[in-house]
Amino acid sequence: MSCSPLWVNTPDRSGKRTATGPACHIRRISGCDPACLPGEGRSSFTFSASCNSVEKKIYVHLNYTVPCVRLLNATHQIGCQSSLSGDVGVLHVLESEENLDWVLSSGPNPPYMVILESSLFTRSVMMKLKNGSSRVAGIVVVAPNTNPVEGFSPHTSCPNENTGVYSESYDPTLAHCNVTVWNPLGNGLSYEEYDFPIFSLKDDNDTQVIRQCYLNHNQAVNGSSPRYPLCAMQLYSHMSAVTDTATCMRRNDINFSISPEMVCDPLGDFNVWASTRPLNNTEKGHKMWEKVVIAAARLDSRSFFFDVAPGAESGASGFITLLAAAHALRNVTQEAQPNRTIFYTFFQGVSSFHTIVLNTAHCVHAKYNSVLPLLLMFFCFADDYIVCILCIKHFNDLFQVRKLIENLQSAAAGLGFTVGEAGFSQPLPPSSFQRFLRARQIPGVVIENHQLNFTNRYYESMYDNAEYLNVSYPPNLTPEEQLKFVTDTAKALTEVATMVARALYVQAGGAENQQDNINADRQIVSQMLYGFLVRSNNSWFQQLIPSDLTSHLSKLILNYTSSEPTLLVQYLLANLTGSAINITQENCQNQREDENDKESKHMFTYMWVQGAAPPNNTKREGFCVRSTVRLSRAVSPAFELRDYTSKDYSTWTESRWKSIKGRIFLVASHELEMLTLGVGVGVLLASLLLTYIISSKADILFSSGREPT
Amino acid sequence: MNLERLPNEEKLSLCRKYYLGGFAFLPFLWLVNVVWFFREAFVKPAYTEQLQIKTYVKRSALGLLLWIAVLTTWITIFQHFRAEWGEVGDYLSFTIPLGIP
Repeated sequence: MSCSPLWVNTPDRSGKRTATGPACHIRRISGCDPACLPGEGRSSFTFSASCNSVEKKIYVHLNYTVPCVRLLNATHQIGCQSSLSGDVGVLHVLESEENLDWVLSSGPNPPYMVILESSLFTRSVMMKLKNGSSRVAGIVVVAPNTNPVEGFSPHTSCPNENTGVYSESYDPTLAHCNVTVWNPLGNGLSYEEYDFPIFSLKDDNDTQVIRQCYLNHNQAVNGSSPRYPLCAMQLYSHMSAVTDTATCMRRNDINFSISPEMVCDPLGDFNVWASTRPLNNTEKGHKMWEKVVIAAARLDSRSFFFDVAPGAESGASGFITLLAAAHALRNVTQEAQPNRTIFYTFFQGVSSFHTIVLNTAHCVHAKYNSVLPLLLMFFCFADDYIVCILCIKHFNDLFQVRKLIENLQSAAAGLGFTVGEAGFSQPLPPSSFQRFLRARQIPGVVIENHQLNFTNRYYESMYDNAEYLNVSYPPNLTPEEQLKFVTDTAKALTEVATMVARALYVQAGGAENQQDNINADRQIVSQMLYGFLVRSNNSWFQQLIPSDLTSHLSKLILNYTSSEPTLLVQYLLANLTGSAINITQENCQNQREDENDKESKHMFTYMWVQGAAPPNNTKREGFCVRSTVRLSRAVSPAFELRDYTSKDYSTWTESRWKSIKGRIFLVASHELEMLTLGVGVGVLLASLLLTYIISSKADILFSSGREPT
Repeated sequence: MNLERLPNEEKLSLCRKYYLGGFAFLPFLWLVNVVWFFREAFVKPAYTEQLQIKTYVKRSALGLLLWIAVLTTWITIFQHFRAEWGEVGDYLSFTIPLGIP
């Protein structure tokens, strides 16, 4: 279990990482003793006298490195690979696309380690570097502090092309994004295979040291080639898995070698779901003609580099809205329970691979037995007060869909923003709903914030962050004040959440006149936005989780691909849809209300959470939250069926690795190295010769003082 | 063990043991036989057992050459084609290199 790229590696749960972070990937970020690091403004290699280690005098280690890693599926491998002992290349800061000529053909000291600014991180530059990979030792991309204006999306231009419902067999005119290209800015870089390591560095002082090293040593003066010693960089990101998923899963299973090594892990995590009416977990099957309403959002995201995928617009906005809607519906569903149960589901694995959804669909269908028409609503994000709804075409139950749309429109009418409807010829955007439709035809809608193509200019990239969503705070606020501050984005999302909640209630059979009582809380939305996009280690999140998980709340920016979102969404959903009950901690942790209770654990989930810290720093008062929140495993059926070459299910796995690090140092010319080696060998041979000569003439040389008696 | 100090019968019996032992898929015993008894068999002045020892050394050398040929061929083929053999290659391998096919 370990390190799953997309959605966390949770140990036992999915076979990848543990909730504590990548336990299997030993990312050693070696640092030099601060006394030895070069200071700003000084030349890179003057050190204070207190640093005695020779290694520290030669190498400067990179502190913050974000690599691109290798992923495999049934037929291909994508991502980057370095050699086992790291790739060394002479630094070259690329000035323009024409300057590539120096790297690829005219530079005299190949291989080169190319440093790209974000404006040059484009498909054409990357493809040229990929094709000239014998002279390219690696690429370092400097990530800017603000998002690039022109947009950047390393995903393909037609996301989920082969895993959705629009395939060749369904309708060739709609397949492969023939009608609408959803992600026009997509350059597909994430899905290429590279022979060299690609790292990303932040644009800070350490990177400035690197640029300065290049300017001091590597720059060509007036067309002549730069003279040795040259500044070079070495990057280590050796990936253990190779070829495809079937190969690496087979190598995982071979167990007669002396040291069995796991080389890759399947992508997987957990889906989170809850229902308004408690369900008995042990009952299988359903009541005939029972109908449910499902509202779903996606929980995961990815980017070109490993572990930096905030997914603000593509993921966070959606699930935050759904959490707010669930909270808005809590009171009214407890007082006046609607006819149909409402499910709130948060899916993992939607981003590229879509597998997870089908697995969950099986789970839902298994419980509710496929003859039931299910009503589904999916939504991704909304802002600017304009929300577009896209209809399904070709499905039988258009009446249900029409009704659903009318509910949404009437709910929105009371809130002061417009809900548009896309025409019938418009296909559905890529979403979890398509996977459900592949299995059976059910009515539903997808709520998005765009009509024709994504308005998200940074789809599935590391720039899809708080800055893109305009989650910004006035300067000089403390973290507590930032937590409480209500941003405009939060206000917009609150409106949408209210609309969704009202429409869900009416769709589930609730009374129409209750609608005005359903309102999402903008304070909660704002706190969630802060917690997921800015800092997850805040006082509100601290209250909602158990005490043994507090160390998981990471420092500043939430690592979106770790298991933290799943955990946080689980506890948030419990807190927002469940209720606090008065039982002891021991009973709570044993999933029962009192000593004799054996039934409650099938209906509810009990969680003991820390609670608020009282102001005078005494212990926190924990309490028990009872809710209907459950987790369901989100891993591709291909791994459960052990069909690693499956065409129906996703087979993505992520490779494991041993160490990821980088360092810079000065290299000497090849001639000097050979000369040094030659002199050394010469000295060795000469000393051997001398020793032999002396030893064979020893009696002459050393017998002068001895007289035979 | 210093062969100088052994009587000839014991040298012969040692040589025979190594020769017979090599048939148990132990070509190194034949190598040892050849190297160790070479001087005894071909360089030393003749003695009664030397003819037998010479036979054993020659046959050991022959067996050794055969083994070298077979092993070299198999190792070359395996190293070259292991990646292409896929599953079979992995099951035949004791340690599989990481990160390369």
